[in-house]
Amino acid sequence: MPDASLVLGIETSCDETGVALARIHDDRTELLVDAVASSVDEHARFGGIIPEIASRAHLEAMVPTIQRALGEADVDLGQVGAVAVTAGPGLVGPLTVGAAAAKALAVGLGVPLHGVNHVIGHAAVDEMVHGLFPERVMALVVSGGHSSLLLVDDVATDVTELGHTLDDAAGEAFDKVGRLLGLPYPGGPHIDRLAREGDPGAIRFPRGLTAAKDQARHADDFSFSGLKTAVARWVEARQDAGQEIPLHDVAASFAAAVADVLTAKTIAACRRHEVDTLVIGGGFSANSQLRELATRRCAEAGITVRIPPIRYCTDNGAMIAALGAAVVRRGLPASPLDLAVDSSMPLTQVTV
Amino acid sequence: MPLLALDTSADICVSLVADPRPGPWLASTLGTLASRRVVEQRRHAELLAPMIEEVLGEAEVDRRDLTAVVVGTGPAPFTGLRAGLVTARTLALALGVPVHGVCSLEAVAAQALTDLDAAAEVLVVTDARRRELYAARYRRRDPATPRGELPEVVALDGPLVDSAVALQERGAAQGATVVGAGAALHPEHLAGDPEVVVDPAVLAVLALRRAERGESMPTEPLYLRRPDVTPSAGRKRVSG
Ligand SMILES: Nc1ncnc2c1ncn2[C@@H]1O[C@H](COP(=O)(O)OP(=O)(O)OP(=O)(O)O)[C@@H](O)[C@H]1O
Ligand SMILES: [Mg+2]
Repeated sequence: MPDASLVLGIETSCDETGVALARIHDDRTELLVDAVASSVDEHARFGGIIPEIASRAHLEAMVPTIQRALGEADVDLGQVGAVAVTAGPGLVGPLTVGAAAAKALAVGLGVPLHGVNHVIGHAAVDEMVHGLFPERVMALVVSGGHSSLLLVDDVATDVTELGHTLDDAAGEAFDKVGRLLGLPYPGGPHIDRLAREGDPGAIRFPRGLTAAKDQARHADDFSFSGLKTAVARWVEARQDAGQEIPLHDVAASFAAAVADVLTAKTIAACRRHEVDTLVIGGGFSANSQLRELATRRCAEAGITVRIPPIRYCTDNGAMIAALGAAVVRRGLPASPLDLAVDSSMPLTQVTV
Repeated sequence: MPLLALDTSADICVSLVADPRPGPWLASTLGTLASRRVVEQRRHAELLAPMIEEVLGEAEVDRRDLTAVVVGTGPAPFTGLRAGLVTARTLALALGVPVHGVCSLEAVAAQALTDLDAAAEVLVVTDARRRELYAARYRRRDPATPRGELPEVVALDGPLVDSAVALQERGAAQGATVVGAGAALHPEHLAGDPEVVVDPAVLAVLALRRAERGESMPTEPLYLRRPDVTPSAGRKRVSG
């Protein structure tokens, strides 16, 4: 018998096949299991995600990953009461595999389907870690594809995008600087590691969109491509002069610039909108410089900061099960079975 | 009790087929209870699930009474094919029934051979896009199968993907009847009957017989092409 409080979430927006089960309780959403299969190793040699390789991997991983999740949670598929799936944003081919699988499960089990937004999922996953959101929270979602500031009045029905990056996402900027410094793909974690042993004040790199003239139009937007160019110039000038590159200091100074801009703008937005809880999500929130600075500055500003553990920051089924649970909890209508995936789904659209 | 058969190698098509079905495997009485076909190059993942609900509703069959799911494994363009395969696999998982894969070109061949001579051969061609065709050549497995009865088939060549010119040059169609939607695309090189297309009921009959013989029918996709390995350019940014 389907149990309305049991939600299965499927995520396939990029290179991770994620399947998770969430249980809805009155006062919390409980994560029962989070199973992930990744094709990341197949992409590394190309220096980026190959959509067709990811799509093929999703097809092969789908049924085994569902079975693994069910097995680990000791749940029978027939007990699942609703299916949630990433409807976008993401890569079309990978999204399509997940959506088709979710629809087939919904039809086969005779339960509702809920298409949800991947980026909002990066914030919603924290409801399973630190408890249901208070009435109003600010969410900073930072990943390989996004750097967005969201005002969340209701995670399932009312999300406002205050700002986003005008060029590179934070993770993308780290990856590009990583390439510049000759680090393996993805460069983000390597820069993080190097930066821990460098001097963040060694080089003064620019802080994009923080000038007074940008406050009117871009107070809540980000820009990291100028920073990336500044790092490139600095490194090339050194190389041309035949000098050694102080990798640790470059990494630390670059990481400090990114963390500074992200936290300063986010805290300013919290003040302006009188929000006292901040959630940080997305793969880039694994970054230790960001975590440290956000924790310190939020404490100073009297803002409660919630950052889920790293394994829930990267792409996974848990984030989709969490958002699906929020949708089911509110009794929202099911998505139509002919729902189309949307590679550029707007961040203000939580459900389909 | 019925089984569900679907194919997304070209059109999107779904049929509910009686199982077991009475009498010989006459092509005229495949036991289709309800079917849907949409001629679409894209949107397979959008339309397929509603079409499944529709055939179940029309035939008034409870999904829990389905005995198996049968799916065409291509060859076909990637995204649509995968939508069909992942749908079949997960639907079967949800229903707790087996899933069987059958090469989509074999269904076209079996249909075409039904009304041809015992020794006849067919070249099945379908649209592979990029100015190429998917192609495979077949004959009856058992020449004694009477005309009018859907035969089991054996592949003599293919399935492969190539241009119509190349297929013509190597005589792929020599001595064979050309059938399949690809026959309308490059008639100067390969002409034939483009009206013979995959009927999911034929997939179902082939699968039922193969199951009776204890053959395994994996649902591995026949992509026949390597992935294009250009990394995704813009990653997945929403805007800016
Ligand atoms: N410790 C770290 N420091 C800096 N960057 C990191 C760290 N760990 C991961 N990253 C970066 O985070 C990004 C991956 O995050 P994630 O997997 O959420 O992105 P995505 O799923 O590709 O994008 P999106 O969620 O926007 O669709 C990569 O750019 C990676 O380099
Ligand atoms: Mg992500």
